[in-house]
Amino acid sequence: MQPDTHAIEGLAVTVLVSVGRHPVTGRSRRADQDARGVELARSLPGADIGLLHAGRLDAGNEAALRGYLGMGFDALTLIEQPENSDALPALAEALKAAPPQLVITGERAEQGEGSGLLPYLLAERLGWPLVSGLAAVEDVSAGVATVLQALPRGQRRRLKVRLPAILTVDAAAPAPRQSAFGPAQRGRLEVNEAPVAADVELAEWQFNPARKRPKRLKIVKAASARDRFKAAAAKAEGGGGQVLTDVTAEQGAEAVYKLLKEEGVLR
Amino acid sequence: MLDTLLPILIFASLALAVIGAWRRVRLWRQGRSAPVDLLKGLAAMPRRYLVDLHHVVARDKVMSNTHVATAGGFVAAAVLMVLVHGLGLAEGVLGWVLLAASATMFVGSCFVARRRRNPPARLSKGPWMRLPKSLMAFSLSIFAITLPAVGLLPDGFVEGSGSWVLALALCAVLVWGLGEMVFGMTWGGPMKHAFAGALHLAFHRRPERFSTKGGEGNRSTGLKALNLDDRQAPLGVETPSDFTWNQLLGFDACVQCGRCEAVCPAFAAGQPLNPKKLIQDMVVGMAGGSDAHYAGSPHPSQALGGKPVGEHRGSPDGPIVAREGKALVDADTLWSCTTCRACVEECPMMIEHVDAIVDMRRFLTLEHGNTPNKGAEVLDNLIATDNPGGFDPGARMHWAADLELPLMRDRQQADVLLWLGDGAYDMRNQRTLRALVKVLRAADVDFAVLGNEERDSGDVARRLGDEATFQSLAKRNIATLSQYRFQRILTCDPHSFHVLGNEYGELGGHYAVCHHSTYIAELYDAGRLHFKPWKGGSVTYHDPCYLGRYNGEFEAPRNVLRALGIEVAEMERSGFRSRCCGGGGGAPITDIPGKQRIPDMRMGDVRETGAELVAVGCPQCTAMLEGVVDASAEVRDIAELVADALIAAPASTGERSQTQEAQAAEVL
Amino acid sequence: MSEILRRDPRKEWIARNRLHPQHLEVLAELGRSAGQGAASEWVGPHGLVRRNPHVVGFMGPNGLKRIDRSGVQQGAGGGRAAKAAAQSKPLVEIESPAFLVTVVPDMAGGRLTGHDRDLLGLARQLADADPAAPGAVLAVIFGDHKEDGFAEAGIDRLLHLDGPEVEGFAPEARLGALVAVENAWTPRHWLIPDSKLGGADLGRRLAARLGERPATGVWQLEASDEADLGWSCTARGAAGSLDIQRPLPRFALALAECAEPVSDTRHAASELTLPQALPARLSRIEDLGQVAVDPAGVALSEAEFILSAGNGVRDWDGFHHAAEVLGATEGASRVAVDDGFMARNRQVGATGTWVTARVYVAVGISGAIQHLQGIQSCDKVVAINMDPGCDMIKRADLAVIGDSAKVLEALVALVEQAREEKRNAA
Repeated sequence: MQPDTHAIEGLAVTVLVSVGRHPVTGRSRRADQDARGVELARSLPGADIGLLHAGRLDAGNEAALRGYLGMGFDALTLIEQPENSDALPALAEALKAAPPQLVITGERAEQGEGSGLLPYLLAERLGWPLVSGLAAVEDVSAGVATVLQALPRGQRRRLKVRLPAILTVDAAAPAPRQSAFGPAQRGRLEVNEAPVAADVELAEWQFNPARKRPKRLKIVKAASARDRFKAAAAKAEGGGGQVLTDVTAEQGAEAVYKLLKEEGVLR
Repeated sequence: MLDTLLPILIFASLALAVIGAWRRVRLWRQGRSAPVDLLKGLAAMPRRYLVDLHHVVARDKVMSNTHVATAGGFVAAAVLMVLVHGLGLAEGVLGWVLLAASATMFVGSCFVARRRRNPPARLSKGPWMRLPKSLMAFSLSIFAITLPAVGLLPDGFVEGSGSWVLALALCAVLVWGLGEMVFGMTWGGPMKHAFAGALHLAFHRRPERFSTKGGEGNRSTGLKALNLDDRQAPLGVETPSDFTWNQLLGFDACVQCGRCEAVCPAFAAGQPLNPKKLIQDMVVGMAGGSDAHYAGSPHPSQALGGKPVGEHRGSPDGPIVAREGKALVDADTLWSCTTCRACVEECPMMIEHVDAIVDMRRFLTLEHGNTPNKGAEVLDNLIATDNPGGFDPGARMHWAADLELPLMRDRQQADVLLWLGDGAYDMRNQRTLRALVKVLRAADVDFAVLGNEERDSGDVARRLGDEATFQSLAKRNIATLSQYRFQRILTCDPHSFHVLGNEYGELGGHYAVCHHSTYIAELYDAGRLHFKPWKGGSVTYHDPCYLGRYNGEFEAPRNVLRALGIEVAEMERSGFRSRCCGGGGGAPITDIPGKQRIPDMRMGDVRETGAELVAVGCPQCTAMLEGVVDASAEVRDIAELVADALIAAPASTGERSQTQEAQAAEVL
Repeated sequence: MSEILRRDPRKEWIARNRLHPQHLEVLAELGRSAGQGAASEWVGPHGLVRRNPHVVGFMGPNGLKRIDRSGVQQGAGGGRAAKAAAQSKPLVEIESPAFLVTVVPDMAGGRLTGHDRDLLGLARQLADADPAAPGAVLAVIFGDHKEDGFAEAGIDRLLHLDGPEVEGFAPEARLGALVAVENAWTPRHWLIPDSKLGGADLGRRLAARLGERPATGVWQLEASDEADLGWSCTARGAAGSLDIQRPLPRFALALAECAEPVSDTRHAASELTLPQALPARLSRIEDLGQVAVDPAGVALSEAEFILSAGNGVRDWDGFHHAAEVLGATEGASRVAVDDGFMARNRQVGATGTWVTARVYVAVGISGAIQHLQGIQSCDKVVAINMDPGCDMIKRADLAVIGDSAKVLEALVALVEQAREEKRNAA
């Protein structure tokens, strides 16, 4: 992917990592996109990578954070914050104190509000450009990063961004490496104190487990009685599949074509 | 002149041998410490050699007799040689016995020579090719110099006839013989196997494998746990010196007979693994150097031109597997193993290949984080969802929604705890489980399941080297099991069977576990099941490694099939020599490419018997064998065959079981 | 073309008279206007509907004529009728709106996406809630577009910003423009699609710049007296695992299907212009354009259209060509992978990748149980297979029994032909 990447001596990269949540069991883990961000940072030659997390330190979170250390790091900087506090000021202060060239993070958290706003707010505070949804960093040279942005359906767009910059990572970025138990256990969590900013607004919201969203009904706006009747009497879709035997290849293809067309997968 | 020369030669070679032995011991002592009862081991050694080792060697009658003659003759001849020629105690019967011993050894060495004339591919060549000549040199020269000692030839015949040349030639031959047999034994010739092997038997890391006067040894197949609480303890094996010293000693005992290579499914499939080469690589690593002198058949992929011999090198404290590039062994080699233990079963020196491979895998997974292909994903799933497929743990019982299986949580106790295994998520295995439930209900067994409280047994995690995940799963399972009262655990998954029965003990979980074939055989013997006669075609039976070789259960499945009225058409490789299906040890997950697939070869074995159906007793085997395209035989689990053949009890047993029968019929 | 229906009584008479020598010609001519082969239905001279039952229906696979009375067959021909219906929708004009609801549609491919229309529907809910003081929906669009249905989509005011600086991926320039909109009109609501097509990015930038806390992942809206703006919303949080109930803030990034699109009314869609020209600014992000991506390289688990090959495929070149033309991601059964025809990371099934494609086309795959498990969550499964008895056929929504190579070839020909026609039409 990066044939002509120049090794940048001491390219300082900070990856913001969060505690994720497994989609099936809800157990805490390293967040998928953040882990991809770490992997992306590791793919930069000569990068000097620091891991930064702001949040509460408890047993579950520690196991998840150690998941990042298991990707081959000695230490992770943890800014201790109580639950449901606004991590933005703490992170901004930490980044201002020792500004890296690149800040890489996932697009959104897997817990809490998960609005995906944090990188934007950080960018606004620091006055840095932000590029979202990255799939790869192709090159970093002369203070400019060439990156590939992931678009839906596997499409990519190439961008150049001036450093220092904030990059957020899409799920299309390369999968993170396995987290090894040994380094994860040995790694250090360097706990820093920082002022706490309570998130007052968030405290007033109601949180519930996500309901299944209702499937949109096909509402037939019919002008005539006949149309309304047809809509009401229309055969429900599905049921047994249609099997075409003894058809020519052309007829078969026609049927398949029709289905592909209906599903809108042909471009 | 010989009278002065012989003691010098003999004691010089003995002294050199002692120096060599000391050097060799130093090599082994590079390894980590291991708790071994040295004296007890040494005392048990002769029995281990004469009984257990020869039990394995005797599978090949000719070679067994050859070895008895050669080795027995050599040991006797060597001891007597010291007495007769070294100490000059030639009088009386000793000389005659020495003559007989060296003659026996010579006969044996002739057989060795015959074997070496056209050796099978599995045997190593190189220095091993000169071994019969060395044996002959030793035995003949001893024989010759003993002739005057017993008076068959007049004293001084050799010198007296003035033939100094003859005397010198005899001495030269004797030096060759002593060099190979005594000096070479400890300095690294082919005879090293005798020295290292004897000590390996004495200090074996699994002493419970050997028989004692009191009874048979057990199979001792469970892996040994890592101490994860000790932060200083290395996680697995990175360098040769990370092995325990008796493991290193075991590697040194290898006699390069290649029996392991001949039975290894990965080797046969063309994957880059040759157990013999692997053990020799460990020896190379222990001593330092490159594998250029390896004289056996290389890895299959080396034969294909992929990995030529001589490019890999290692040292006692250098890495075995490099993160990048080459070291002593390539990671692919370690991940090719299916942990089927065929090599361990066949090894006459009782070397523990699988332990070594898993030790090295542990390092790759726990320290490098380099489990190949789907390995990392499977381990992540095990951590996050307690099953390798990443399914919702709450959906474990969905397959049985209509069966109303009794839950342990409601019952608190039952005679039998039915362990479902991760097959509960697999649509194919659900058929087997349904069949098993039907059988249990037909036999009116008091059973219950853990339901959603069950987790993966940890088998896959452990074979993939992730000891941490294994122990986490195992400890939680043990905690769950400790809440309930049951007589024993029944499972249709030999992998769970093995782990629960043999590997949980070290973590504090001791259970009586049995495989469903064993249990069905018991139920049948107790008259609780009745079968209609078999009407199908011919049937063969595939022994799952984790049931057979790991746990010694060869008979029960065959008894069940016999009870069904099936005459099993045995495959050439069955019983303890059964060939693996390719599904064990996480091999389908790590998926190292080879020339062909292991299950295809196994289905080829099935085809040779002409069987229309192959009975199995393991979800992995079912999946692997059913995945063979254009198979000649259908794959059915024993439980399915039994469930299909169930009939109501004959009238005498009364009406009660008929109602159960009706219940059972509703299950399927 | 004029929309007034011109009738030619003579032609209609000929069309009714099957014995007339010009009957077929005229029939064809009348039919063409309806977009189909021949007209099966037309309005007679006295306003009565006339039918020609002979042209109704189609030839079925057995050579028998089939008539589909569900209306699907005839539905397509209503081009003129649809247009007429659009004309007939009541036009709603809001002269002096009480407030503005600004929507920034994605306009992917230069057209309003379904997501955009849903958002405009939501915007109308907000704007029309109080009939006494109706708001107006303002849509801000950037760059060239091909859309001509702004009025029907429910847009009262349209701000079209054009120019090289806002083309492509230009978040900074677009952000500047949106800030100018905020300064010029201070809309009461901002609605932006929470989509990967650009809305999610732009919306967050805007909210961050203006220092407002937006609601993201909004999918439901309810009137609420307690909230400042009179609305509360339900938003997805924590990677879709939580529903957050909160008052609707000024900025909302909404998910698809958050509301029904506008369908009953037409709106003015009158053009607005910004009071001031946009200031030129130096961009720190430079767009080097889209990169050609091989659909075969898309990860299987993400792909929404998979063409999967199994043991029955013989013509591998043909298969790869078909995947390329259809724009499908290639998958494979375990056997095809084992036999070395496909890479391991292309394997679909319980032992390979679990796929979530909308359409899964299985070519020459018999359907081993592990494979079927792996495609459980596919919406539509199409099987092309020789063996009518295999398990894949039972699972498939549409199965074609026949030589897969020939069917694929014919399918490729159809798709290419359709593309050609589209190109000519455009």
